[in-house]
Amino acid sequence: MTFARNSYRTVVVGAGIVGLFTAYHLARSGGGPVLVIDRGFLSSGASGRNGGGVRQQWETRGTVRLARESVEAYRRFGREFGFNIWFRQTGYLFLAENDAELARLRTVHTLVASEGLASKVLDAAAVAQFVDGIAPGAVVGGTYLESDGTLYPFPAVWGVYEAARSLGVEVAFGVEALGVEVRNGRVAGLLTSQGPVTTTTVVNAAGGWSGDLSRRSGLEVPNVATRHEILATESLKPFLDPMVVRVSDGLYFSQSMRGEIIGGLTLPHRPGTSRGTGSSPAFLSAMARALVGLVPRLGAVGVLRAWSGFYDDTPDGFPVIGEDPRLPGFVHGNGFGGHGFMLAPATSRRIALAALGQPTGLDPAQFSPERFLTPTPTATAERLQLG
Amino acid sequence: MTRERAERSLKMGESDRRFSFRGRPRSAREGETLLAALARERVPLLHRSILYHRPQGPFCGIGHCAGCLVRVNGRPNVRACRYEPSEGDSITTENAWPSPTWDVFGAIGLLRPGGVDTLHGLRRPAWATRFYQRLVRRFAGTGEPPTDAAARALAAPGLVRTADVAIVGAGDAGRAVTAALVASGVRPIVLERNLRVPPVEGADVMPATTAVFLPPPPETGERRFTLLGFREPAQGVRIDAGSVVLATGGYDASLLFRGNDLPGVLTADAAMAFSTPPRRVPFERAVVVGGGLRAAAVLARCASTVEAVVAPGEIRPEVVRAAADAGVPLYPRSLLLRAEGRHHVRAVRLRARSGGSKTHLSCDAVVLAHRRIPLTQLFFQAGATMDWRPEVGAYFPHVSPSGATSVPGLFVAGSAASVPEPDRPAHARSVADAVVHGPGATVTTGVRPYHGVPTELLGYYRELLRVPGHGRSVACPCVDVLVSEVEEAVRSGYRGIEVVKRYSSLGTGICQGRYCLPDALLLLSILEDRPPEEVGYITQRPPVVPTPLAAFASLPAPASEGVVP
Repeated sequence: MTFARNSYRTVVVGAGIVGLFTAYHLARSGGGPVLVIDRGFLSSGASGRNGGGVRQQWETRGTVRLARESVEAYRRFGREFGFNIWFRQTGYLFLAENDAELARLRTVHTLVASEGLASKVLDAAAVAQFVDGIAPGAVVGGTYLESDGTLYPFPAVWGVYEAARSLGVEVAFGVEALGVEVRNGRVAGLLTSQGPVTTTTVVNAAGGWSGDLSRRSGLEVPNVATRHEILATESLKPFLDPMVVRVSDGLYFSQSMRGEIIGGLTLPHRPGTSRGTGSSPAFLSAMARALVGLVPRLGAVGVLRAWSGFYDDTPDGFPVIGEDPRLPGFVHGNGFGGHGFMLAPATSRRIALAALGQPTGLDPAQFSPERFLTPTPTATAERLQLG
Repeated sequence: MTRERAERSLKMGESDRRFSFRGRPRSAREGETLLAALARERVPLLHRSILYHRPQGPFCGIGHCAGCLVRVNGRPNVRACRYEPSEGDSITTENAWPSPTWDVFGAIGLLRPGGVDTLHGLRRPAWATRFYQRLVRRFAGTGEPPTDAAARALAAPGLVRTADVAIVGAGDAGRAVTAALVASGVRPIVLERNLRVPPVEGADVMPATTAVFLPPPPETGERRFTLLGFREPAQGVRIDAGSVVLATGGYDASLLFRGNDLPGVLTADAAMAFSTPPRRVPFERAVVVGGGLRAAAVLARCASTVEAVVAPGEIRPEVVRAAADAGVPLYPRSLLLRAEGRHHVRAVRLRARSGGSKTHLSCDAVVLAHRRIPLTQLFFQAGATMDWRPEVGAYFPHVSPSGATSVPGLFVAGSAASVPEPDRPAHARSVADAVVHGPGATVTTGVRPYHGVPTELLGYYRELLRVPGHGRSVACPCVDVLVSEVEEAVRSGYRGIEVVKRYSSLGTGICQGRYCLPDALLLLSILEDRPPEEVGYITQRPPVVPTPLAAFASLPAPASEGVVP
């Protein structure tokens, strides 16, 4: 038998940062026994393939607040979880190439500042102070928030993984979720590639595979998995502090603690073509042209490796958090659109609440699964889905 | 000093290039790499490791390791073994202060010889977070960022070509296939990584050009390959080819022992490169490790500078004969426990296998010639089926007698095809035949099955792991990961190479696992008590070697996205 028990109170699908954090909170609030299953190995999904950015600059108040809470949690992470995640709060710098983009960033700045965060609007000269060697005339300005930053994703995963396990959470790798078993209109179990498990609650935290699991469980959801490519260069002595994001094309890059430039670029992606984590010649040349165009001296830096991971996108850019009204016992913790890592601490607490049948306190129009069932013209959308 | 300079100026030839190295005038001869020029002038080239600033030196000699990185005219991370100095170059070393010989950052390695636990440590007190982060960032990084002038000097328009057949590697096998194709009326494009290579009549041979990315061909439509590469220093090359023949050859692997990344420890590849006439090897009393054909080749090339031959297992008769002729003592079935020395190897300690007597040998180099494995990155990238060969301890492409891999249109020639040397000319002809007429049409005769040299390394490492102090061996020299840190990862419950890689950072440095992965698979196999093929493998990501962003930027975006594996 693959699993230690036949029956669990909750089964979490996906051992990424969101799934593990949720399992950790469930175990702490007496929601056990908890089983976490993952189709790959630890960190084989987006939690092990992202650029490590953590930011609070968003277009909607709800997201800003979740992000601010997550930043506080990551600041405490080292003391609470025993792993050093090297959370470096040296800012996120958004770049505008024209006045329209700058006006959009100003709106973001106004919102972020109204939440008590020390966001700044920068002119081109101030931007150049942050990005040594930026091509003259490349930008008209940008916004900067110092308490944003970057972290090293792996130790964050190890830390939550070990903490969850020490609370009795069972984690099984190489196990795929095939769909839920439904009895009397609610979740009665989960079918896995290693046999069935009895449970009353399934948490879908499967990231790029969450749409598949929902659909295999008979639930129509709008989640779409899109591949995003990324690269890392040879390591250099420190010269770049903030994470830099360009609004026009989603170019983002930062310098890791070890000195590598790590970054990516949003390219049009044909969804559903393949679920591999490989790279494409198109990305390598597009990314290199974007990076060298912005900071010409990086042309003399070697690319060390390139890879890709999956965003779990929703139509309005907000994650999906809460129990699915069509199937009691089926709890969503997905749709993070490439920003699950940075929002995980705050959102997973609420996913755990939903799994325990308690209110999440989140605005249902923005985060609940119901919002896709009653098609009303949505008031808000989060379009700052970059970096 | 004056005499030395006078001698140098006397020896200075017409075509010599004068450059400065660490502020002193030096010169390189026509066709001489920086590494060879410095070795000839007996200038030690030191590099400091990325984290603990331990002294490292030229190790692989073929442009993969971090041991000979220098800064050339404001461009960081240039490999001395792959750079021919130009007149007036300003070349210096990096990642050390004030100099690689006396590097104050090196104190960290002396204070914390067991390594710094950056995974759990440096968390407290919270107010010191920023200080720790600045400190660690300052230590890390192999070079200062490039200057704008250095980047401008690299700019070159990309090269986009179409060919029926692209061949990667113009060594013996690649040249033989090229010649056979030319004889059948095909004009292939040949990419050769070496800076200099003789032309082949009827073929376009591109020297100094490294193939770095070969994605699988599209599954629908015309199945053509897109091969990305770059020509030194930073010209992007993209070749659209109907068939690709990989003749990428093999390389000499690393070995785990204490002091295994000390300057003076080098691979047989490096020794062979150094000893190519008219050059002289930069050692006088080397200990050669290995008892197989590669060790015999090293002896044949530089027997007069070999002090002893040490083999993990038995020693082949060819080596015994060559050693007897040169009066070199042999130490078969020996554990190499440790290389000693502060800035350079001065001695090695051995112990006979199964707890026998100990030996102390003075030497000035350790040449690793015990295990030669194929360069398989492009096969993995292209999605070819790979077979684990336990007798070599490495993956080889699954290959038909005519050199066809599991990917239609992708062929292999030479040592990666497991063809023994005497059979390679015949094999090259059948590969060319299969490329032109299809693999099914070829009848191949006379190609014998490959018999690798049994390495016995699994048993060897099992014994080594029982030796006190083995944990100080460097498992990954590029990122400064010690064997003890790999053991710690396994003890903490992390299993499989993919997970241990992420936990320990092993294999994430400048050689991308070329030198740590073969040993790490065996190490994890022992620590996790399962066969090496169950430990998994690190996904071979593009590019094969660090490729300047300028090279990729010089290429226009291809029309179709192709298949992303």
